[in-house]
Amino acid sequence: MKNNVVGRVIGEIVLILLALLFLYPLFLAIFNSFKSFQEVMTDVIALPKSWTFDNYSYVWKFINYPRLFLNNAVITILGLAGIILVSSIAAYKLSRTRSRASAIIYFICIMPMLIPFQSIMLTVLKTARFLHLSDSTWGLGLLYWGFGAPLAVFIYHGFVKGIPREIDESATIDGASGFRLFFSVIFPLLKSVTTTIIIIDVMWIWNDFLLPLLMVNGSPTTKTLTLAAYTFVGQYTSDWQYAMTAMVMAVLPSIIVFIFLQKYIVKGVVAGAVKG
Amino acid sequence: MNKLGRRMADKVEFGLFTLPVLICVAVAFYIPFVLTVRYSLTKWNGISKHPKFIGLDNFKQIFTGDANFSHAAWFTVKYAVLYIVLINVLAILLALVLDSKLKSKTFLRAAFFIPYILSLVIVGFIWKFIFMQGFESLGHSTGWSIFGWSWLGEPGLAFVSVLGVSIWQSIGFYLVIYIAGLQSVPDDLKEAAVVDGAGPVRRFFSVTLPLLAPSITIAVFMALTNSIKVFDVILSLTGGGPGGTTYSVAYDIYRDTFQNNLYGYGTAKALVLFVAVLIITIVQLTIFKRREVEG
Repeated sequence: MKNNVVGRVIGEIVLILLALLFLYPLFLAIFNSFKSFQEVMTDVIALPKSWTFDNYSYVWKFINYPRLFLNNAVITILGLAGIILVSSIAAYKLSRTRSRASAIIYFICIMPMLIPFQSIMLTVLKTARFLHLSDSTWGLGLLYWGFGAPLAVFIYHGFVKGIPREIDESATIDGASGFRLFFSVIFPLLKSVTTTIIIIDVMWIWNDFLLPLLMVNGSPTTKTLTLAAYTFVGQYTSDWQYAMTAMVMAVLPSIIVFIFLQKYIVKGVVAGAVKG
Repeated sequence: MNKLGRRMADKVEFGLFTLPVLICVAVAFYIPFVLTVRYSLTKWNGISKHPKFIGLDNFKQIFTGDANFSHAAWFTVKYAVLYIVLINVLAILLALVLDSKLKSKTFLRAAFFIPYILSLVIVGFIWKFIFMQGFESLGHSTGWSIFGWSWLGEPGLAFVSVLGVSIWQSIGFYLVIYIAGLQSVPDDLKEAAVVDGAGPVRRFFSVTLPLLAPSITIAVFMALTNSIKVFDVILSLTGGGPGGTTYSVAYDIYRDTFQNNLYGYGTAKALVLFVAVLIITIVQLTIFKRREVEG
């Protein structure tokens, strides 16, 4: 019995060490963002001799961090709001209507899940330019409505099926119909799937690279965090201390959010994968 | 009359609810897709006003005389197969360990999940730093020659690096899927197997693994769709090098379209990728459907 407890404690310590080793690259990135150029070049694995924020103040100003953060926020929030609005109303109606048109439209909505983005990237850019959506954070946000819709419609559609029609009917008797019925009665019932969709889509849009690269990389005022980090490394190929600072600054918001909402994020990701 | 009016109203409402999403997917997918098909039949550098129609010549060129494409296709297949097998095996093993009664379970799960919330491009850069600078210091302090190898400069090792970094970034995702799957395996089934005298290995293969089947289906499906499209991590980690050995199909398309300005040719390749993904997905869905019915 005692042997068992000792074994378990040792096993647990080994696992924790393994997990820390797994995260070691991230720790190295963080440590080196606090070092001077000479220190990075002489010894990467040592802790910084004196923790300096010089790299941070330099990169902060150079890439205009607040602006980038705002851009990311605008794109993510606009994209997300649209995906949820447009997909939930459509999925609700499609799930409630039994007709051939409804089945066809549903198919049209979810079919694009099979199209790899790289297959259409050039022509997406052309279409966006034609519609004056390119080179603007708003335009990019709007474009995500379409890219996020297939999965969202699919998840909502499956969930609405489980909501009894009697709820719609009793609401109709009470005099609610159309959008009012949906937003005051049905939408609140979709809360759990809406959370799932928010989690999956925020992770995707916040970190997305290729679509922003094509759409908003032209001007420093429209760039996203990831794009700025990408261009920054291109310009400072050997200044690793700045590059690592830019990396840490780009990923820090995600890590902070994850630490606080860990439970929900993991749950949402699992739910999204199982339903999707 | 009233009935007719009501029907009309229903139709209008149906339109109001579904039209927005149709416009959105049309702009994001259907219009670009039609344009892709059109451009794939042309020779066009993106500058001249009128793409020149050349029929199926692009496709002939892709399948007969394009060493870049065949290299990239071979790379992608190798990468996808190894990625799917390794990430699922590793994630199942790790999930089995983390599913036991550990005090630090939440911390461990979070630790392995963290890389998954990071942008792949940035993950690629961080690892580039580790391979180029970090390994040098590690080599000095440990004396292990493994840190002295050219992890990004030698084709075979660069492939391993790309694969390893991809697995490092996404294993947490597969891990949580398998942990959720294991939690749905009823305890009394495991206990019954213990009573029957089955050892841990036997118990795993005849009780746990079959019950994990739905999770495996999901995980393999996700691993396949993600690995065929591998792009971001290669762009920042190796940039396709050394000597163009780590170009994936998606990256090859990107190179032709945006770096070589072969708009017509690039879109033709893009269409080939689409058809490949479509076929693989359909095959996979039929196999899994059949198996689920049997099981």
